[in-house]
Amino acid sequence: MEHELQRVGRAIHAALPGRGHHPLRALDQRAMELAAGDQELRAALFRFVDVTPACRSLEDLARHLADYLHEVDERPPPLQAAMRVSGTRAGRTALGAAAAAGVRHMAHRFIVGETPAAAVKPIRRLWEHGAAVSLDLLGEATVTEAEADRYAARCREALDTLAEAAPAWPGRPVLEADSHGRVPRVNLSVKVSALTPLLRPDAPEVGREDAARRMRPLLQRARDLGAHLHIDMESVNTLEATTDLVFELLDEPELSDGPSTGIVMQAYLRESGEQLERVIDWARASDRRPPLVVRLVKGAYWDHEVVEARQHGWTPPVWEEKAESDRSFEALTRMLVDARGHVRPAIASHNLRSVAHAIAYNRATGGRDADLELQVLRGLGDELAAALVAHDMRVRIYCPVGDMVAGMAYLVRRLLENTSNESFLGDQQRGVPIDELLAAP
Amino acid sequence: MSFANEPVLELRRAPVRESLLEGLSALDARLPLEVPVLVGGEAGAAAGLDSTDPGDPSRLVARAGRAGPAEAAAAVEAAERGSGEWSSRPAAERARVLSGAAARLRERRLELAALQVRECAKPWREADADVCEAIDFLEYYALAAVELEEGRALVQAPGERNTMRYVPRGVAAVIAPWNFPLAIPCGMTAAALAAGNAVVLKPAEQSPASAHALVEALHGAGVPPDALALLPGHGDAGAALVADPRVHVVAFTGSSAVGLEIVRAAAETPDAQPHLKRVVAETGGKNCVIVDADADLDEAVPEIVYSAFGYAGQKCSAAARVLVHEAIADTLEERLAGAVAVLRVGQAERFATDVPPVIDEEARERVAAYTAAAAREGGIAARAEAPPGGGSFAPAVLATGLPESSPVLREEVFGPLLAVTRVPDLDAACDIVDSLPFALTGGLFSRSPGAVERVVRRSPVGNLYVNRGTTGAMVGRQPFGGNRRSGSGSKAGGPDYLLGFVEPRVVTENTMRHGIPVE
Repeated sequence: MEHELQRVGRAIHAALPGRGHHPLRALDQRAMELAAGDQELRAALFRFVDVTPACRSLEDLARHLADYLHEVDERPPPLQAAMRVSGTRAGRTALGAAAAAGVRHMAHRFIVGETPAAAVKPIRRLWEHGAAVSLDLLGEATVTEAEADRYAARCREALDTLAEAAPAWPGRPVLEADSHGRVPRVNLSVKVSALTPLLRPDAPEVGREDAARRMRPLLQRARDLGAHLHIDMESVNTLEATTDLVFELLDEPELSDGPSTGIVMQAYLRESGEQLERVIDWARASDRRPPLVVRLVKGAYWDHEVVEARQHGWTPPVWEEKAESDRSFEALTRMLVDARGHVRPAIASHNLRSVAHAIAYNRATGGRDADLELQVLRGLGDELAAALVAHDMRVRIYCPVGDMVAGMAYLVRRLLENTSNESFLGDQQRGVPIDELLAAP
Repeated sequence: MSFANEPVLELRRAPVRESLLEGLSALDARLPLEVPVLVGGEAGAAAGLDSTDPGDPSRLVARAGRAGPAEAAAAVEAAERGSGEWSSRPAAERARVLSGAAARLRERRLELAALQVRECAKPWREADADVCEAIDFLEYYALAAVELEEGRALVQAPGERNTMRYVPRGVAAVIAPWNFPLAIPCGMTAAALAAGNAVVLKPAEQSPASAHALVEALHGAGVPPDALALLPGHGDAGAALVADPRVHVVAFTGSSAVGLEIVRAAAETPDAQPHLKRVVAETGGKNCVIVDADADLDEAVPEIVYSAFGYAGQKCSAAARVLVHEAIADTLEERLAGAVAVLRVGQAERFATDVPPVIDEEARERVAAYTAAAAREGGIAARAEAPPGGGSFAPAVLATGLPESSPVLREEVFGPLLAVTRVPDLDAACDIVDSLPFALTGGLFSRSPGAVERVVRRSPVGNLYVNRGTTGAMVGRQPFGGNRRSGSGSKAGGPDYLLGFVEPRVVTENTMRHGIPVE
């Protein structure tokens, strides 16, 4: 098994396309490298990216940038130059324009389009290149009923738009079927926290009931359109409401024959093993078709979980050592793959070792490659996706859609991930040797 | 000093919530509790003062004794006796007793939180935090007293030895409010005791049972009966304590009106009183949250809503006003209105409740009068209705468009009413803050370091919170207390707080003998 893992890992690694030579791409790569190397600079960059959509003019934007850079002790030469020009009005306008372009470019790397309609073309292009997508609608936090209704309407619109476009895509057998049968072309990820303003960690039933009101019609619509609806997982504060909501709705007789639906397991949670057991037990006991898709991720709220726990004096609900999360990921992968008769496993990771482990374990236990889905994030996992496509794996790219204001929280989270010293992608970019990349955690 | 806050319960876990509901059932079976007047270890009759559930006036939570001026005088007399023995103990020994009391509260955490749910309609999350804060005060002041006993280093010259130490003042009268029914009486009492004073505690008439639990813990842990008396009762008992010439320190937390009366009364120096009284006061606020044009509204809206409506706005730190930059005022008002409209007003015992009933009918009427004024002078942008039923429920209200002269914008409402005012820029917002007689807490949402610095420089408030809510100060982390008419500037849960309960003494000794320094 370990031997097969190493073989698969090296094969994928060999298929990774070379670093792109697009000048702008190189530029934001450079920005990330700078940020990863210096904590103060990293903070300044995040704070700047975060405030960008709230600035009222280029001058305002430049003033914020200068303010943040002012707090950085050692500024690399390009930023020193930026500080100098920020002294004049004309300089600020020019700096603002350059900075805005920089942030926009960064955002475009992670966000596929402003609206579902605008996303149709790039999604089709990905499909033609052999990768499916899951669309994710970025949005501001939902704090009112009107915002929850708006998000639900956007979800419905996205389903309709994609369902209208998808039949014209060329056939891609790898992406469209597994041992359980048809895999929907249209795939939308939704967030429970966006579907209700009433999510309260202390009273999950209130948010659950309110979100169910808006989720039910979306599920019905997805079923009628033959689309897949995936319910994303967020922080631990919403975990109980989210999990209970999924089970409650999928147990409703009216939804017993679809749509295809999915849930997410976060490997960084200490309790993730018990959670996955609960999901698998449910799937075993349920005769609902098609089977539940279970997307396994590492988890994207690590800092939030740790800080919140520390401020309250709680044990963090997440593993604090990266290796613990990585080991948990592999253990959960095996549980999930072992249950493939009842659920559809989807492994979402940019960690070459984790991906190779899933492929090798699935093969070692007699599974077909078609019975394993591999997922990556747009902007972070594009190269890995290309390599996996080259190996005829079913790859799905998680593609956020939305404007800059809506996308900022997402963007900051991705940047944080990409500049973390612990990130696998960081290791890969720094040229860590393949033996280390594939070493057991 | 190694201090760590008592961890609050992780209410997001279902089993934790269930354990609290079990605690509530167990408490309900024991109601009403009996709270005697306790002076010199003698328990009086528990009758004369009833404490009821604000959410259901037919539920009697406690039958308490009612102390008047006579009991107050007896309690001060006992405290004078108790003060001698208690103050003679080394700080480390007093600290051990306080820490022991903390352990006793820790053992009863669920029960004490449940008691606040019933006695003060305090929702679980806040009730639990209150119990934790009480524990924190005991542990923190215990450590602080040991440190204080070492005195301060002074400049030393050849031939002389200078020392500065702090000694207890004597008898402290503690007059406490109901809104933090355990934590605030505990904080003032623990500080006074840690510093070596004897204490006469007069809790609010609405929350005698919580105060009784505190006194039980302290006596149980070893505070001598004479060094701590409990006087459940009304204002006359408190007034008698303040006027008593044998009292040295008055520690008060409550309304501004009563606070001012206490300051005046304590300034009297009858001939029989050989000292000046010290007043440690923490009173009202009219707390403003400034929202800058570049604020992150996704964060600001929930934080403001919780700051204003958590515990129905009945915290002195609660947000009462929002001062929003006009560039984003439309969006903020719309989102705040939507967020207020979905608040759930209901019983404190329900985890789903956002806004519990207010403390009593008098409070309900006061809030209703301000709400009517807000509707008359400006407009109501949103309200979350109270459920029908017998409790003292007040709807949650968002008011807009009020003229700056409106009493709704200048007086403390102490209820679930938040008013939004538009300002052209940050300086205008700071001018408004500056024009108020209060200076307790303030909030600022801004992502500009320059703007933050400007507001920090111009803010008179005791506690300014940047990019977070204005409530929930933690012992040791956010020492709490206001300036101007909001208080005497003492900081509860901070390194200087004990100084209000001691007097400094300096000794200078000539160490020269026959022209030779003998040291």
